[in-house]
Amino acid sequence: MDVIFRVRRFDGEKSYWSDFVIPAKKGMTVLEGLYYIKENYDGSLAFRASCRMGICGSCAVKINGKPVLACETQILHLNSTTIKIEPLDNFEVIKDLVTEFDGFFTKHEAVKPYLIRKEDRYSEPEELIQKPEQLYAYYKYSLCIKCGACYSVCPASSSRDDYLGPAAMTAAYRFIADSRDEGDGERMQIVCGDCGVWRCHFAAECSEVCPKKVEPAKAVQKLRFRSAIYMLEKFFIRW
Amino acid sequence: MRWLKWFEFRGKSLFHISYSLHRLTGIVLVIYLVMHLSYLTSIRIGREVYEYFTSTTLTPAFLIFDILLVLAGVYHGVNGLRLILHEFGLGYELRRPLLYLCYLLTLVLWLYASYQMYLFVMGV
Amino acid sequence: MRIRNDIVIVGAGLAGMRAAIAASEVSRDLSIAIVAKTYPIRCHSVCAEGGTAAVMREGDSFDLHAWDTVKGADFLADQDAVEFFVREMPKEILRLDNWGCPWSRTQDGKIAQRPFGGHSFDRTVFAADRTGFHEVHTLYERMLSYPNIVRFDEYFMTNLVIEDGEVKGLTAIELKTGDIVLFEAKVVIIATGGAGRLFGFTTYSHQVTGDGLAVAYRAGVPLKDMEFFQFHPTGLIPSGILMTEACRGEGGYLRNSKGERFMEKYAPAKMELAPRDVVARSMWTEILEGRGLESPYGPYIALDLTHLGEERINERLPLIRDAAIKFAGVDPVEEPIPVRPVAHYTMGGIHTNMYCETPVRGLYAAGEAACVSIHGANRLGSNSTAECLVFGRVAGERAAEYALKKSYYPSTDFLKEEEKRINSLFREGEESAYEIKAELNRTMDENLWIFRNEDGMAEAVKKIIELKERYKNVSVADTSKKFNTDLTFALEVGFMLDLAEVVAIGALKRRESRGAHYRTDYPKRDDERWLKHTLAYYSKDGPIFEYLPVTITKWQPVERTY
Repeated sequence: MDVIFRVRRFDGEKSYWSDFVIPAKKGMTVLEGLYYIKENYDGSLAFRASCRMGICGSCAVKINGKPVLACETQILHLNSTTIKIEPLDNFEVIKDLVTEFDGFFTKHEAVKPYLIRKEDRYSEPEELIQKPEQLYAYYKYSLCIKCGACYSVCPASSSRDDYLGPAAMTAAYRFIADSRDEGDGERMQIVCGDCGVWRCHFAAECSEVCPKKVEPAKAVQKLRFRSAIYMLEKFFIRW
Repeated sequence: MRWLKWFEFRGKSLFHISYSLHRLTGIVLVIYLVMHLSYLTSIRIGREVYEYFTSTTLTPAFLIFDILLVLAGVYHGVNGLRLILHEFGLGYELRRPLLYLCYLLTLVLWLYASYQMYLFVMGV
Repeated sequence: MRIRNDIVIVGAGLAGMRAAIAASEVSRDLSIAIVAKTYPIRCHSVCAEGGTAAVMREGDSFDLHAWDTVKGADFLADQDAVEFFVREMPKEILRLDNWGCPWSRTQDGKIAQRPFGGHSFDRTVFAADRTGFHEVHTLYERMLSYPNIVRFDEYFMTNLVIEDGEVKGLTAIELKTGDIVLFEAKVVIIATGGAGRLFGFTTYSHQVTGDGLAVAYRAGVPLKDMEFFQFHPTGLIPSGILMTEACRGEGGYLRNSKGERFMEKYAPAKMELAPRDVVARSMWTEILEGRGLESPYGPYIALDLTHLGEERINERLPLIRDAAIKFAGVDPVEEPIPVRPVAHYTMGGIHTNMYCETPVRGLYAAGEAACVSIHGANRLGSNSTAECLVFGRVAGERAAEYALKKSYYPSTDFLKEEEKRINSLFREGEESAYEIKAELNRTMDENLWIFRNEDGMAEAVKKIIELKERYKNVSVADTSKKFNTDLTFALEVGFMLDLAEVVAIGALKRRESRGAHYRTDYPKRDDERWLKHTLAYYSKDGPIFEYLPVTITKWQPVERTY
């Protein structure tokens, strides 16, 4: 079946739409369609892709208005003869479907997304005990592939540049909920801060679009509860 | 005009729409509040002015605005309660039923309030 | 533009990031740059699924792990390196634990281990079936806490600068702007992974095109054992997505069209958990003899997990279930998964000693890009992520010590030359890089697959040389600067052609069957003539081969049965 790919292009100066006819087969993914364009019609089409199995997070684009991973979206499952492909919202476009991710990663970095332990035993590490139920308390949130889909739909991120965004908040919660972590205070200060969880207004769209079902909105909500308690504690301790 | 981005329905799900509506009704309520306060303040100019202003709002033609205003108020209030619940980390799993409940409650409260206002304005 | 750093690491996968952390632990005064053509967490290491082997518990021993590795390697591994490797491995697992890796746990909270192909003890540490993913994220996140590591994301390496037998730096295209940048460095570590996209049906990410290998090779560094290419038994059809060996480690069966567990014919003791070369050959034999199942995408073998039960699959193999449903429309809880052997791992790589040093002063290599060699002729499952961690660290530490000793920065005028070369690529040629790559993939899939023979390989060599000739007239139609993936693709195809030539000629010359290199015309291993590593040096007229003896410490070659 022939399907039309309507791709949003940007060459650094102007943006426009390009249409391509793709002979879609059963099982063919949108990413394969994009490669088909690159190989047969227009080599200048730029998009990011790597693992093509939904784990590297490179290929998130907006397909028919919804952010998804191109590699795991099958063309025929979309049930439409014209497929509109655009770059993610809330990200500056560099070229065609390629967007600027540096800011996104900087925001991720800002929440100190690494295990903080009082004693860093680099040369003589020891086995830490973590029960399966302690593992499952945070495991789901460690599955984030940082594809940017949640960030692209977040209305709080779209209207404020300084909000750290759902992915960064999820990363913060993943470490706060980890029984091995001892950096609560440090991280809580960032999370409770001006750019933290209180900027979220629960549009919950992030959980709807997350391709890995990580549920960032839930992580943010859990963080808010912790952050409320943390702020109260701090308030009373000061008195 | 970055606040306009509040009204871009990105993922088109009901959650995003209710978020945008919350913002919209919030703006409506602010405008109403300003109007309301300026009407009340008019009593300092004189009783007649105040009465003239208030009487314009009690006409059947104005009822339609009142009914829409109540819709905005009720939605903002009910949805606000839902958000407060969620924002303290509660009821995340129930977010879908809660959203429907929120719309239902809004509808019921709004219809009841509109009926009461209708009775009052018509002087029945 | 010129950027100056003490250490430049190319490739931000497991090995590259581990090297960066190790170097930073040696001294926080070193400036360390990590240059990669993708963001670090988009690397191919995230696709590793099954686990990482390490001796952790009572009953297992370093000697046993080393023996399994050496036997798996069909005795082509350097045994001193293997012994060193198995001893260092447990610490790496614990370090990752201390850095936040969500290892799967036993009921009492200890790190869990599962059985894996070719290992005679349950020693594979895992994080569900996303081990590589979690390891990469853990290392990336840990790396963020070191202030002296600077990331240069989305820089495409084009050339290595080696002058007077010493590395001076490298050139790269900054994809975002299209500018060519010269990185000047005291030390360069190459950790760019394998050359998997040489093959069409492969588990590799689109980005794994062997750039680092080819760049080093062209700059005069020898490549070792490139003819050994691992075929993983279970690649999902039609896309080739990896169905981890852990499927069989957890108890999955392989069945042919008659429903038989055919592995009892080929490896009665280990069954499905024989090393990958053995299982892949057995599966291909079944397919060739007409006992494969039929599908629109060609014959396949059934990977049966249905007897494991939904709960176990969800706990231990969630990604496999997800991928099988999304990409093949098959739920492994209810139906067997359609699989076929698939190109998976480059055993060969840049020639290094067990300290990751290449013959060039100041140039190091680690991970899949290097050939230390601990994998020999066939890698055991779950030894690859392990190799990245151990030898990533070794490379990082050695490089840091070297950089601390070296008092001067090298200088070079290479930048202008490289700019001229890259700019000359923009032209309207008659050949399409995409077509050349498709033909290369076809040739490799046909002639250098699991069963090889003289005629097929000779034909492949001829074809590759012809493609190289055609490549000289390749066209890069997109002349824009920003994010020009047309240009990078053409460069990648150039790299791949050089590597394919080394693989094909190396395989043609090796007249024996060993590990993953199996020849129908020489089906026996020949220790007398071929117990040696292949070294390929670049020359204008094609590779020049030399051979190097294998280091044997404890284990003399014996017949390999499972």
